[in-house]
Amino acid sequence: MTAPRGPQPFPGQEKRLRLLAFVRQDSIVRVDKRVEDTAMVWPHLLTIEFIAAMLWTIGLFAISAAFNAPLQDHQTPDCTPNPSKAPWYLLNLQELLLHMDKGLAGVVVPTLWLVFMAAIPYIDRSREGVGIWFTSANGLRITIFAAVYSTLLTFSLILLDAFLKAHGYIEFASDYFPGGKQLLPNYVIPIALMIGLSILLVVIVQRLYLANTREWMIAIFTGWVFTYLVLTVVGTSMRGPGMDLFAPWGVPATHQCFAPTK
Amino acid sequence: MLEIPAQIWQKTKTSYIWRSLFRHGYPDSRKNQSLAVFTNVFLHLHPVKVRRHALAIPYTWCMGGLSFFLFLVLTLTGTLLMFYYRPTTEWAYSDIKDLETVVVFGQLLRNMHRWAAHGMVITVFLHMIRVFYTGSYKPPREFNWVIGTLLFFFTILLSYTGYLLPWDQLSFWAVTVGYEIARATPAIGDEFAFILFGGFQLGPNALLRFYVLHVVGLPLTVGFLIAIHFWRIRKDGGITGPL
Ligand code: HEM
Repeated sequence: MTAPRGPQPFPGQEKRLRLLAFVRQDSIVRVDKRVEDTAMVWPHLLTIEFIAAMLWTIGLFAISAAFNAPLQDHQTPDCTPNPSKAPWYLLNLQELLLHMDKGLAGVVVPTLWLVFMAAIPYIDRSREGVGIWFTSANGLRITIFAAVYSTLLTFSLILLDAFLKAHGYIEFASDYFPGGKQLLPNYVIPIALMIGLSILLVVIVQRLYLANTREWMIAIFTGWVFTYLVLTVVGTSMRGPGMDLFAPWGVPATHQCFAPTK
Repeated sequence: MLEIPAQIWQKTKTSYIWRSLFRHGYPDSRKNQSLAVFTNVFLHLHPVKVRRHALAIPYTWCMGGLSFFLFLVLTLTGTLLMFYYRPTTEWAYSDIKDLETVVVFGQLLRNMHRWAAHGMVITVFLHMIRVFYTGSYKPPREFNWVIGTLLFFFTILLSYTGYLLPWDQLSFWAVTVGYEIARATPAIGDEFAFILFGGFQLGPNALLRFYVLHVVGLPLTVGFLIAIHFWRIRKDGGITGPL
């Protein structure tokens, strides 16, 4: 090998090569840590990355050989499948759509949610528990509580909505509610529920688990994750024709119609 | 006997051309291992050393890395698909049909692109979950979390714009659901839908717009964001771990 240019390391000190940049002290990898705390990227990290990439490539080939991507008939505006569903990762929004105003469910809520998500690090500024799963045992308890809370509530609300609508809720609202079937059922009640139940969750974990900022943030985030999952699952596997609610095993086949052969 | 290959290897390694390619010896010493990483444009996304816990699969689940892996797979398979696909209402559907029936390995190619796209939505979601629960958005990583939220949004948008392209009943009506939502945007619904879909119904304009967004606009956006994301990880001192 040819010697690289520049000053040569002293014998025995070859491994003390350092690359430093102007980084605030709190963010830099501590070079003065004991050697056992660090691992060389070549070979340790690169081996893991290589193996992971290989396994996933093989897996993807296998899945793609076994399952074909769906392709139905040529598009025709004359025939609407019943139900028409968005791709599964948007079915949570489509599910939300059934319970409130379209613009609210499809645009306003997700936008505000994204903004709130991006703001998380600016609300929870503590450095507590960085690098530790769930921060603490209390964090884990809060996660479990919030998961159960939001799963049960979301699911019950979906069932309640289906039940009420099956029993003349809309007609009742148009006759007796101020603002008819729009104002209360489509705006006020859903907004109040979304905000109110989130605040309730925070208050509960603060009372019950003495949650600090990081911990109530865990509760809110967990609440969102599980609401999102429940909405996705219900939207995907429990909605049949007319977007009516069915048991997952009893959903009738989608009503398809076939494009006229030309 | 073995001397001959050894000599050839020796000659190759000291040749002018080899040395113009690689500026380090075989990475079996710490120095050469470091040089191998930071003199290679692809490998230098990594630091030379990482903290040991960063290798732990139970910690990262590998999900960030796998999201990136799937992004690369999608870029590759997507580019190959572009050779066969024309984004017009006359051709889109039959081009996909041809991929499935005429093009050699076309069905496999399409399947890979499709399943990798679903996979990426899942891996990005799981990555976000691991970053949140390990508190990895805390100082000094606040802004990288913001970049991450954007990546989450754009990943879903990429998937969604791709969904329309086969122009079959499934894609058409699924995207119609999105179109209805866009039109329901408060105050600017019609304008918004018109800009995004190029009209007041899903037609040739929508197909072309989604195609351009899907193959140029969004991948570039995501590519840039990933570059910033990775740069910030380095500058923030690598990934988090217990102090
Ligand atoms: C295209 C999507 C994305 C790619 C390719 C990507 C890639 C990566 C990779 C490779 C890492 C290194 C550690 C690891 O693998 O866990 C990482 C870390 C990180 N990611 Fe992502 N990411 C993506 C989306 C996101 C999202 C959606 C978020 C959050 C909203 C996010 C926030 C972060 C943060 C804060 C770190 C630093 C974590 C730490 O220091 O432990 N990323 N990302």
